[in-house]
Amino acid sequence: MQEIVAGYLFIAPAFISLFIFLVVPILASFVLVFMRYDVLSPPSWNGFENLSQLSRDGRLQQVYWNTFRFVVFATFFNNLLGLLLAMGVNRAMPSIIKYLLRTALFFPVLTTTASLALVWNFLLTQDRGVVNYLLQQVGLPPVPWLSSSSWAMVSVVMFDVWRACGFLMVIYLAGLQAIPEVLYEAAAIDGASQLQRVRYITLPLISPTAFFAIIISIIGAAQVFDNVWVLTGGGPGDATRLIVLYVYEIGFKRFEMGYAAAVSLTLFAILVVLTLLQFRLSRRWVHYD
Amino acid sequence: MSTRGESIFGVAMSRRELLRWTAMASAGALLAACAPGALPTAEEPAPSKAKVRIIATTQMPISQWEPAMKRAVEQLPDIDLMITQTNISEGGWAGYSDRIVTQIAGGEQLDVIMIAVEGLGLLTDKKILMPLDDYFLADPAEKEILETDIHPVLREMLQVDGKQMEYPFSWNNMVLYYNTKIFEEEGIDPPSKDWTWEDFLEVCLKVARVTGGADDRYAYSFWGSGMFGMAAWYFNNDTSPLNDSWTASNLMDPKVAETLQFLADLILKYRVSPNPQGWEEWAQFHAGHLVMRTCGRWCISGSLNEGFTTYDLQYQPHRSGPFKTVVGTDGWGISTSTKTPDEAWTVVKFLSNKDASIDMTKAGGNIPALRSVAEMPIFAEYGPPNTAIFYESLDFAKTVPSPKNFNIIDPILNRHYQTIWNGEKSVEEALIAAHAEVTAEMEKLQAGRASFASAGLGTLAMACGCNQ
Repeated sequence: MQEIVAGYLFIAPAFISLFIFLVVPILASFVLVFMRYDVLSPPSWNGFENLSQLSRDGRLQQVYWNTFRFVVFATFFNNLLGLLLAMGVNRAMPSIIKYLLRTALFFPVLTTTASLALVWNFLLTQDRGVVNYLLQQVGLPPVPWLSSSSWAMVSVVMFDVWRACGFLMVIYLAGLQAIPEVLYEAAAIDGASQLQRVRYITLPLISPTAFFAIIISIIGAAQVFDNVWVLTGGGPGDATRLIVLYVYEIGFKRFEMGYAAAVSLTLFAILVVLTLLQFRLSRRWVHYD
Repeated sequence: MSTRGESIFGVAMSRRELLRWTAMASAGALLAACAPGALPTAEEPAPSKAKVRIIATTQMPISQWEPAMKRAVEQLPDIDLMITQTNISEGGWAGYSDRIVTQIAGGEQLDVIMIAVEGLGLLTDKKILMPLDDYFLADPAEKEILETDIHPVLREMLQVDGKQMEYPFSWNNMVLYYNTKIFEEEGIDPPSKDWTWEDFLEVCLKVARVTGGADDRYAYSFWGSGMFGMAAWYFNNDTSPLNDSWTASNLMDPKVAETLQFLADLILKYRVSPNPQGWEEWAQFHAGHLVMRTCGRWCISGSLNEGFTTYDLQYQPHRSGPFKTVVGTDGWGISTSTKTPDEAWTVVKFLSNKDASIDMTKAGGNIPALRSVAEMPIFAEYGPPNTAIFYESLDFAKTVPSPKNFNIIDPILNRHYQTIWNGEKSVEEALIAAHAEVTAEMEKLQAGRASFASAGLGTLAMACGCNQ
């Protein structure tokens, strides 16, 4: 009995903090959806107005389209590069080089996103930016990296991939190192090519890792805030305004907490459906044995 | 399973015992930390009367207030003054106002607040500031300063419905900074006070050198966002993005389109201005890569820091209507959430006095609201030769449009301006879209105020003590 109590006491701090900072806000947002609340005046009943506003909000569609494109491209390139880099550093090489490579690739993950985004902003500025200066030195025209609607999304994805693929590399590396070496040796004896070993050994055995990496990438990409906030502020216009940025704007700039809760619940619902869908689909391509 | 082996001070104990001792030690430390301090002994002096903590927040750099905080130790013995800086660099006054509202809503102690006219409407509408009239009435010396040493334009700018909501501290207008060395090199005469947009464009075309190389030199850069920066151009074409009472959009006025087209052409047609997005004009101006810029007096501080002296000032070029300069004032107000309003008023007076104004003037900051400081030689010393135009402009000043929902309107305009500067939307397309959004927000503001009044929520707010 004492051990049971001790167990509960040990998990209590984590449970209490999760309850206060996660469960309570989620429950509160379900209530706020039906309220008009500007953070200073007491909340007042607003019926279904916030929910009906969702269908009238012309910007919401644009913001969700931006978020969809960002999630797709960031997830794809983060995982692709993460896997390729993991396979690269998993090859036989002097350990000092391996450590240096791993550290260098993981370094952007350790640095604060805001400071990195400031540097990228400096590099990518259209007029007198470093990247455009170099492009013009080799005879190429300057690119409106952050000031054109189409290029701004490319820049935001590029920055996210550069910053986050190191993290996925570490996850994929752990997955790769768990694959028994004997399988590759047996395949080599059987005459399997390098490509065949990747196709028939690496990919199936790394599928649980990939499943985990893809899920956290999608959820992470859907919740991106600071990258875009510092790099483009959501602009130009609404070109890179993602859903979390939009929720922040509604809640903490327009002080319409009820509507902000309504929009954030749509994101919550979409993420739940997406994750369940992935679990369902994972039965077809994830191999645990 | 019990594992023996850990040894503290040579005594072997089980893991459970170790955990128990650790927990007891932690609890003991916690209790000791929470316990009241020991009573003073006969040799120790008795503690002095507890000071009242007053927290004042401002957008200005804290370093500027360090001399005031030192003086406060002597001059305000009963007050423990703390000055904090609330970030204004992200989102301008709209972002600053949002942060103040969020801090107050979060229960943070803010007794004294500096806010400019752009955010005053929001803070007053949210019942965050209390009127200062009673304090001025009870304090004839301060009332005299307010009425005789502060220009009526500045004083009235910080009034809402006839009530003085803030003690004016500093103000700004927007003038044109130009590099005198480059003007001389190019054989261009200094601009005259009555120069026109055509004169300005002619100068731009003469001084710009934009080829995409390291030696690029842009003629002029403008903010491209922010009501204050844009109004500098609108007002000189006898127009404004909002109507005179700041309650409706005026974006469909052809002069608004004409103004924006002129600015867009500087970027897209003549290529004499950079796209404002991501452009850092302070460093470029000081490095000689930018010949002209529009800014208030606070930009002198950057030049002082860089030791940059080859520049002078002139009024913005003019197109139509009476000559006007955009003006905005900030001041110190008392938060309705303060528990010690009398001490807060003492701090408001202290932070608005001559010494604080002189500190700001020396730092190259804004223009002091106190005429007596603005007329001191020190004001002219910390600026280029034509510094006098800063204070002169008050005679033809026009207040920056500052609706109650400034924090919503300003970002809408900025978002649509961006699509003009990058050439993705024509001026007409962007203005139609912006007009629709601004109109919807203005209607929402009116409807919200109507429903607030009809629902009797104003009375409720008074009852909760947040509507004084």
